[in-house]
Amino acid sequence: MGAHDVTPNRSVLLQLKSKIKLTQGGHKVLKMKRDGLIIEFFEVLEKAKQMRAGVSSDYEAAMEKINIATTVKGEIAVKSAAYALKADPQVKLSSKSIMGMMVPKVEAERIHTKLTDKGYGVIETSTYIEEAAMAFEKLLDTIVRAAEVETTMKKLLEEIEKTKRRVNALEFKIIPELKESERFVKFSLEEMERENTTRLKHLKKE
Amino acid sequence: MFKRSVRKGNYAYAVTRVKAKKSKLLKEEDYDKMIQMSVPEISRYISEAGYQKEMTDLAGKYSGITLVEHATYQNMANVFNSILGASQGELADMVAAYLEKWDLWNLKVILRGKSYGVDADGIREDLVLAGKVDEESLNKLISLDSVEDVLSESSRTGMVTIPNEVIASYKETGNLGVVEDHLDKLHYQRLLDSINPYTQPTRIFLNYIRKEIDIVNLKTIMKLKHEGIYGDEVMKYYIPGGMEIDTKYAQLLANYDTIKASLGDLSRLEVFEEYIKPAMEGDDITHKGILSSMKKYQADQAKKMAHMYPLSVLPIIDFMVAKETEVRNIRVVARGVDGGLSRETIKGLVVI
Repeated sequence: MGAHDVTPNRSVLLQLKSKIKLTQGGHKVLKMKRDGLIIEFFEVLEKAKQMRAGVSSDYEAAMEKINIATTVKGEIAVKSAAYALKADPQVKLSSKSIMGMMVPKVEAERIHTKLTDKGYGVIETSTYIEEAAMAFEKLLDTIVRAAEVETTMKKLLEEIEKTKRRVNALEFKIIPELKESERFVKFSLEEMERENTTRLKHLKKE
Repeated sequence: MFKRSVRKGNYAYAVTRVKAKKSKLLKEEDYDKMIQMSVPEISRYISEAGYQKEMTDLAGKYSGITLVEHATYQNMANVFNSILGASQGELADMVAAYLEKWDLWNLKVILRGKSYGVDADGIREDLVLAGKVDEESLNKLISLDSVEDVLSESSRTGMVTIPNEVIASYKETGNLGVVEDHLDKLHYQRLLDSINPYTQPTRIFLNYIRKEIDIVNLKTIMKLKHEGIYGDEVMKYYIPGGMEIDTKYAQLLANYDTIKASLGDLSRLEVFEEYIKPAMEGDDITHKGILSSMKKYQADQAKKMAHMYPLSVLPIIDFMVAKETEVRNIRVVARGVDGGLSRETIKGLVVI
């Protein structure tokens, strides 16, 4: 709707004034939300960086352990031990709210399996294989925690982008348009007032 | 009139054969050279050191490091089968009982494969035919549908006996570990039963096996302690028949909550002074260091006893231990080189 597509009367002017006030209030709140989200984002970003470094170092450690296990016991023994393992890691998914935005909460419920529950015999299984299994369990735990942080970060980014678009729309389109309509109505009313005055003067002369 | 009883065994012949084979095993300097090589160079080196036939046979199926691993296992299986084939009488019984661990290894591979749903070819690839059970019997087990079928067929053929409570426990928990641990206990029980200790060499062999049981029990106690498991839970995995570690002593060791706390009582063991104690020196006490020093103890024991009784089963056991160690060392060097491990790390993993 263009700024001049309004009926210039006092009631519309009042409506426009109230709309402008409301929109400016909304704009302020959204700006605060955007700034809050950005602060939150930087905090999560720092955490995500640490998690990524953790995943990377745990991955390297796990690969080294599996490398040593394969070196000492051979691929056949490692593969065979892997086949024995039947326990599935369990994760619990829930959600939490950050400034009204829902982000996932992932908790590792059962990642570590006890040596006696692994599915292979305790007596003959090599310590090297067991150590490799433990290193991968640790890696999995870190990945699960990293997944939560990364998803939160992505959701925050999307939300910041969305809020920024809304703030910009209000700041550069909706509020200026409303103000332009208000100015147009005001001018029109003033013009009508002048016309009325002139008309009254003419009537008085006659 | 001078003919020895066939039941007694052809010790002189079998020992002469293994001594000839032992002289061909790789030496420390060979491993030093191999550590400097690439995987293709190692393949060529071991081909020239007696693995030519297996390397050529399997070259169409595997390549690189996988070829080295399968060829060395295959070679070990062929060598052990030839020793078993050349042995007679009680000697053959003892060698077969000792090699039964490979039958149990294969059975475990089949059970794990069935439990995980690996196809027949995948399972077959991981078998090591170094035991007395032939390929045909193993193929029959592989063709069966489930873990339960494999267990009942193995029991039916007399390969193993699995008590009902072990099968029930497996069915209840789905944990194959209970079956595997039972198989390991069964192996040592059968091995002990196969030895008639009426001569000094067989008595020494019996003692060697009993010491091996001690080492296995000690390793299990250490592994579980490392995992934070102690007390009665540990005793479920105790193998009876050891030399120094009887049930009471095992319970005593099992009750300590850390390896360090058990040091005082561990010092009673023969293996302690020379093998465990050096591995426990320094700040970084790892159960892995202790376990690998115990492996060295086993190899040294076999070597020592083989020298004491040259016309007995002991030189054959010593050779089999040395052959297994050679295969392990080749794999360690080749995989270590392939995996980019440092030379020092590889050297530390090689057992000389």
